[in-house]
Amino acid sequence: MTSIGTGYDLSNSVFSPDGRNFQVEYASKAVENGGTSIGLRVKDGVILAVEKLVTSKLLVPQSNRRIESVDRHAGIVFSGLIPDGRHFVSRARQEASSWRGTYESPISVSTLADRMGGYAQAYTLYSSVRPFGITAIIGGVDENGPQLYMIEPSGSYWGYHGAATGKGRQAAKSEIEKLDLKELTLREAIKHAAKIIAVAHEDSKDKEFELEMTWVGLEETGGKHVPVPKELVEEAEKWAKKEIEGDDDEEDEKMEE
Amino acid sequence: MNHFPEGWGRPRDDVYGAYDGSHLKTVQPGAGFNQHTQSPIVTGTSVIAVKYKDGVVIAADTLASYGSLARFRDVERLKVVGEKTVVGAGGDMSDMQYIFDDVLERLMIKESYSPESHSPLLAPHVYTYLSRLLYARRSRLNPLWNALLVAGHDEHDKPFLASVDLLGTTFDGPALATGFGAHLALPLLRKLVPNEEASQNVTKEQATEAVKAAMKVLFYRDARSIDEYSIAWVTPQGVEQSREKLENQSWKFAERIRGYGTQTN
Amino acid sequence: MFRNSYDNDSVTFSPQGRIFQVEYALEAIKQGSAAVGLVSKTHAVLVALKRNAEELGSYQKKIIGIDSHFGIALAGLAPDARVLSNFMRQQAMSSRLLYNRPIAIKRVVDSIAEKAQVNTQHYGRRPYGVGLLVAGVDKAGPHLWEFQPSGMVLEYKGAAIGARSQSARTYLERNFEEFENVDKDELIKHGLQALRDSLAQDKELTSANTSIAVVGVGEDFVLYDGDSVQVWLDKLGETRSSRRRAEEEPATTEATTTETTTETTTEGAAGSSTEGQTGPGGPAGPLDPAGENMDTTE
Repeated sequence: MTSIGTGYDLSNSVFSPDGRNFQVEYASKAVENGGTSIGLRVKDGVILAVEKLVTSKLLVPQSNRRIESVDRHAGIVFSGLIPDGRHFVSRARQEASSWRGTYESPISVSTLADRMGGYAQAYTLYSSVRPFGITAIIGGVDENGPQLYMIEPSGSYWGYHGAATGKGRQAAKSEIEKLDLKELTLREAIKHAAKIIAVAHEDSKDKEFELEMTWVGLEETGGKHVPVPKELVEEAEKWAKKEIEGDDDEEDEKMEE
Repeated sequence: MNHFPEGWGRPRDDVYGAYDGSHLKTVQPGAGFNQHTQSPIVTGTSVIAVKYKDGVVIAADTLASYGSLARFRDVERLKVVGEKTVVGAGGDMSDMQYIFDDVLERLMIKESYSPESHSPLLAPHVYTYLSRLLYARRSRLNPLWNALLVAGHDEHDKPFLASVDLLGTTFDGPALATGFGAHLALPLLRKLVPNEEASQNVTKEQATEAVKAAMKVLFYRDARSIDEYSIAWVTPQGVEQSREKLENQSWKFAERIRGYGTQTN
Repeated sequence: MFRNSYDNDSVTFSPQGRIFQVEYALEAIKQGSAAVGLVSKTHAVLVALKRNAEELGSYQKKIIGIDSHFGIALAGLAPDARVLSNFMRQQAMSSRLLYNRPIAIKRVVDSIAEKAQVNTQHYGRRPYGVGLLVAGVDKAGPHLWEFQPSGMVLEYKGAAIGARSQSARTYLERNFEEFENVDKDELIKHGLQALRDSLAQDKELTSANTSIAVVGVGEDFVLYDGDSVQVWLDKLGETRSSRRRAEEEPATTEATTTETTTETTTEGAAGSSTEGQTGPGGPAGPLDPAGENMDTTE
């Protein structure tokens, strides 16, 4: 960022001479410091997972949820400034509710992503506000089956088969790319999700983290976005741990050769 | 008698005369004068319910009438809210649909946003919410033209049954009925459960039998009823629901009745 | 006048993605006197140290009851806390009016969190300058939440905010595993012990400067202020901080930690009337989950 300090980065909604909005870029920095979030869109549903860094041992475990529901059929996970994410979720709920008021049916995930993209974009337009310091992953099921979208601070969004954001996004992405998402089932995918978050955490291994995972399945959860049952999460974590240790062993063996 | 939804909450015309609205016409159109619903259009009739030892049984037939025409014959008038509450509605069917499909759906979705349920939504809470809604609407002179029964349990798993109507009038009891049922079914139900204590010694079977008998009487005597009804049992374990059809009907007694149909004398 | 060009308002991100105005608001909490909260299986307790501006003046209220099942302790700008507590009272009352149901603690805490977040995203507003500990009981049992001006809220088993709260937090971290199964009296004692550790060198807990509140499963929120505090101080026995005791009675067994010694020096320099100016801060990382971006002066 060569233009830092030239004055074009001091206010939102201002372009620099080379056509950049620095405040939006800085907002993305806030995202890059947050715990890793991922979303996996598989054959029969969507999984959302997040790496919650444990900042104090006095925190109540399993409380302080980071993945929230929107209507019954969708969920949002985000990385970055947590209060911004909460506000974003609350807006998404209003959108879903207003859609219901008009159509008496759940909002489609693509429409929800579109509305929320528009909302985030509006916060890049005025000097009186700042952009959202989050990247949000929206997952859900609707008449078109499982859907997954990721929205950035700029307001741009894309549909994904697998999405990752936050500090460990690079590691997470390369892990996701190894998967054949179109063929996976939710039951299989929760294990992989646990592994991806664990791998993404490797860089900040000195800090403890808690895995939070939710899913929404056509059959598995009856189209409802709900937390993955505790036993299944624990099982997935165990599998992930073993798997990662196995990977390390393989690498060690290769090194020895 | 004040048992048809059109008459609910009005001063009786046969006692007080028809309402003189002539003074209203003196108000200039557009001078802030507004008229809301004056009568229901498509209506549902009675809802009846009885408390028993470990739950509540509630029933409503599936007819939605357009005046005296049996217009829609398969309308569900019982709504399960959450896992342990049933709301039954009589009166205007579009207002009922607004309450069931909009108001209560929103309430349930909002509730699902806290899956850890630090304070679960039980029947008394749904009831309070609905009573506030109906009272607020009537205070704005724009009532939701319904009579509702809410059945479920309180936080100590004690059976809960209460009623609220279009005026926001609230009351509870071991046996309740709305509409025509308040006149015809309630006396029958009270034979089984004259008071709160009595309901604690009534079995599910006894309560069900009383409700079924009452539904039968209502079908024969209430001209806005139909021979199919929905019945639900609410216990702390959850809700069980089924559809009943009145079999072995006998209209023999009708032969001796004169003064209706083609025979007018 | 400003530390850098990115800290003028709360609508400007620094190149690192920080919002300095929000971080400065967190500093305002440390200007206030300490408050401690902790929970057992059956109870939630708040204890706080009150300050008076001058010797003949009254003490600033530190604990406020909101509804019969919960209340708050504050550190920072008291007027801001009053705005938030009024809002919480409205939320709590509307839950009772609309649903005939006491509001869940998480729900009311989330409602002020959302309110606070808006102040960090719009020009012309300032973040709240107060930190809160919200303690209460609902159908799921006792809860303790910490609220920060950033709009961050977290649930804790024990938490401390305000001047020199690090010492109290150290106590909580060392002892929190015991809290779960102790009774009400014992839990209050733990709270007072934590609070005692955050005292300035020349201070001690008195019935005038200490507030205690407790709420339990099936027990309403009760606030002990003034004379009614003495009973609890008597149960506590020693009302001076372990540091001071260590100095005055070198033979005492209680250990003095390195961090607390450091504080003693800084606090000694700051003097008692401006206590807390250079004191340690609240928990790190209100906005950034990694907790790395915080200006931790501890």
